[in-house]
Amino acid sequence: MNTNAPESVVLQTNKRKILTATLFAVVLAAALLIIFILPAEFNKDPLGVGEALGISGLSKPASVSAETVRKEEGTLREDSVSFQLLPFEFVEYKYQLNKGGSMLYSWTSTKIRAGDSRLVSFEFHGESDEVEGYVESYSLEEGDREAGTFIAPFKGIHGWFWANHGPEAVTVTLSTAGFYTETLEFRDGFVKKQVLK
Amino acid sequence: MIKYRGYRGFTNRFQGVGPRYFWWVVVLVLIPVTAAAHNISGDNARFVEGLEGRAVIPYMYLGAKHMVTGYDHLLYLLGVVFFLLRVKDVVLYASLFTLGHSITLMGGVLLEWNVNAYFIDTIIGLSVAYKAFENMNGFKQVFGFQLNARVAVLIFGLFHGLGLATKLQDLSLSADSLVINMLSFNVGVEIGQAIALAGIVVVLGQWRKKNHFRRQAFAANTVLMSLGFMLAGYQFSAYLWA
Repeated sequence: MNTNAPESVVLQTNKRKILTATLFAVVLAAALLIIFILPAEFNKDPLGVGEALGISGLSKPASVSAETVRKEEGTLREDSVSFQLLPFEFVEYKYQLNKGGSMLYSWTSTKIRAGDSRLVSFEFHGESDEVEGYVESYSLEEGDREAGTFIAPFKGIHGWFWANHGPEAVTVTLSTAGFYTETLEFRDGFVKKQVLK
Repeated sequence: MIKYRGYRGFTNRFQGVGPRYFWWVVVLVLIPVTAAAHNISGDNARFVEGLEGRAVIPYMYLGAKHMVTGYDHLLYLLGVVFFLLRVKDVVLYASLFTLGHSITLMGGVLLEWNVNAYFIDTIIGLSVAYKAFENMNGFKQVFGFQLNARVAVLIFGLFHGLGLATKLQDLSLSADSLVINMLSFNVGVEIGQAIALAGIVVVLGQWRKKNHFRRQAFAANTVLMSLGFMLAGYQFSAYLWA
């Protein structure tokens, strides 16, 4: 082998050409990152192109994309209460939840004497912490039971108003599990507030 | 003016071997193979974590697989050997790279250095861009100064080794056979590197014989630099948000 052979090929370049190529490399990398990689991999979409291309959140696991899994920051708490309502009595019971906070709930109303179900009037609703006097109703009807999953649409207190319009005393029993921090009971003009540990 | 002395006389040997774009086809076929996910994948990880004690062959295999399928290491190696004409130099640079990454791979694992994998992978991405810029002769032309290429490959080898260490640390190695398993992984890394380099050197050797190599070489290093920046941006984003 010829020992004078060059160690490597050296390109004939000049400063201008190199700087142009470097700028091109940076711009190309930045463009592909912003348009494709950040939206698809990290769900970061500064220009909204990822959304337009339909690749935002591409690499999230399917279950998360479909909102079957939602992470919660808070502590899971359970609560179970019951109220006796004489004819024409009413009570309101609510939970303090952050926006997006969720809870599972189930309540039933039964006649105190015979123990079978008994209709009550109820309204499931929320009151905003942030907007004074803002109330949103989730369900407003007569019934003897309700159950489901609730995700708070805004930060505030969310819960039920029950009124017994029938001739007999009833017991309303509520069980919940969720990421609330306080319970509030409104009855006979008093508010009983309980901060949960 | 530089001449291709090492290759004199070989220029036309492979003419007519097949279609003109044969080597491009080879490269395109290899891309999906090498573009596999870069962390040690879930099933592999569970397998080795389930092993008790010494597991020379599994760790060696993982090391080799990590290197052959790790596009960040491959892009860097491509940059390193891009303009190296002599096999002797390929071996020299590869050895310096090996020395660098072995020091930090073993040091990182044994001393339990706790470095952020995404942060290290960001630097590894930048190492690709650095090498491409160096290949363009950018440091001499733009800054009038270039760190010796051999020193640079050793230094970046140290960073690549830190990246390897973080991957191995993710596997929560059992303490009793830590050293032997880590050495097996390291040996595997070198085997994988040799395999990858052999492929890269063969393809580059063919490419260099083409007349348009000079022109394409500059463009290729521009693309390589861009890929390096992209890798760095991707890993830094992961560092911020993943």
